[in-house]
Amino acid sequence: MQNLIDFIVKYKHWFVFFLMEGFCLALLFRFNNYQGSVFFTTANSFVGGIYSAVDGVTSYVGLNAVNEKLEAENEMLRAEVHEMKRELAAHRIDTLRFDGFNRARYHFVGAQIVNATTNHSLNLLTLNKGEKDGIRPEMGVICSSGVVGIVFLTSDHYSTVMPLINVKSKVSCQLKEHLSFGTMEWEFGSCEFGYMTGVPLHIKASVGEVVETNGHSDIFPSGIPLGTVERLGQSDDGLSQKLTVKLAVDYTAVRNVSVITNYHHAEKRTLEFQADSLMSLD
Amino acid sequence: MKRDTYIRLGRMVLLLAVQLLVLNHLHLFGYATPLIIGYMIICFETSVSRMSLLWWGFGIGLLYDVFSNTMGMAAASCTLLAMVKPSILKLFMPRDMVESFKPTIQNMGLTRYIWYSLSCMGLLHFTFYFLEAFSLSDLLLTIGAMIGGTVLATLISVCVEYIVRNRIEEREVGK
Repeated sequence: MQNLIDFIVKYKHWFVFFLMEGFCLALLFRFNNYQGSVFFTTANSFVGGIYSAVDGVTSYVGLNAVNEKLEAENEMLRAEVHEMKRELAAHRIDTLRFDGFNRARYHFVGAQIVNATTNHSLNLLTLNKGEKDGIRPEMGVICSSGVVGIVFLTSDHYSTVMPLINVKSKVSCQLKEHLSFGTMEWEFGSCEFGYMTGVPLHIKASVGEVVETNGHSDIFPSGIPLGTVERLGQSDDGLSQKLTVKLAVDYTAVRNVSVITNYHHAEKRTLEFQADSLMSLD
Repeated sequence: MKRDTYIRLGRMVLLLAVQLLVLNHLHLFGYATPLIIGYMIICFETSVSRMSLLWWGFGIGLLYDVFSNTMGMAAASCTLLAMVKPSILKLFMPRDMVESFKPTIQNMGLTRYIWYSLSCMGLLHFTFYFLEAFSLSDLLLTIGAMIGGTVLATLISVCVEYIVRNRIEEREVGK
């Protein structure tokens, strides 16, 4: 404390000097229009720069919340689009028929990937939603860029997903322009590419053509992209084509996904099972 | 001590009057106006404390500002000159001086005095005209005003020094 006082006493003329200069500058900017305007313009642009930098940081920090909101909105819109499509299809067949009582088959549940492997042959993803959120095994999982995979196992609050990049994964798909069916498979290796097998030899697929779901399996609605054709080729037995497909989903970066909950699926399966068993009785 | 203060006050009033009534209407080459009020600060002896030097500089600058409608400009430059003046004087005064040293032509010699006066006036005019222009456009005009004002103010201060000191000496010799 004594040192501080000594310091102030020793250099008091400096303090007084700066006070006086500050006072002079205040007078200068207060009573001289030109100097004042220059000073305040500069100060304003400086402060404005700081504010915009702060705003940039705050909005970056807030991106997570914005992302979640957008994702929720996306789910709503996807459900709406799906319902509209169904409605539209119904009206195309017969404009007088109105199937308003039939609820939309597909609903969407937003979830986040909390664990993922991409470097094994049997890769799995873990979602932070489970049976309590309405997720059941064999439901489709998509994200904004395309198909992610199919739900494999579920617990109360979590579920595991078998992504396209799993050697056991098989997803029914079609070429968008040729409407030719095939199966999307994966071989252990790069998580960027999968293979579409079972395409007949006469189909002239082109590089860059979109591969999408065909809606046969009831797991995915039709028209959801899986990827684009990267290279043409033949299967090992030479009976069909085997197209190398660049997957639409980047598994190293994907985080927010939607689970497609099709509760009619189980009903359909039960019905088919009953039919099968009745047939075998005969 | 009190006598010194009265003399300084008288000198301040006289300098302000000359500055405001005569020199402010002098625009050499159209823009160079010498600020003779700096002479007030140049004259101070080394025995005067830095604090009182600051107050004198601030005071005369502020008074000039009030009367010539240049709020803050002369006050800021005079305060700066008062702060730096002891250091400038140290550069030009003989090294073995210990007691109170008065910067006059007799004590320093003409050349040294002119250099001393030129540096002080240069600083004063540089600050003043920079604050007045407050931009780097018309830089040549501003520099012209700085140089013209500095040279003129130095000339005047040397002349005043010559005349006044000689008078005082003559008077003292006459006594």
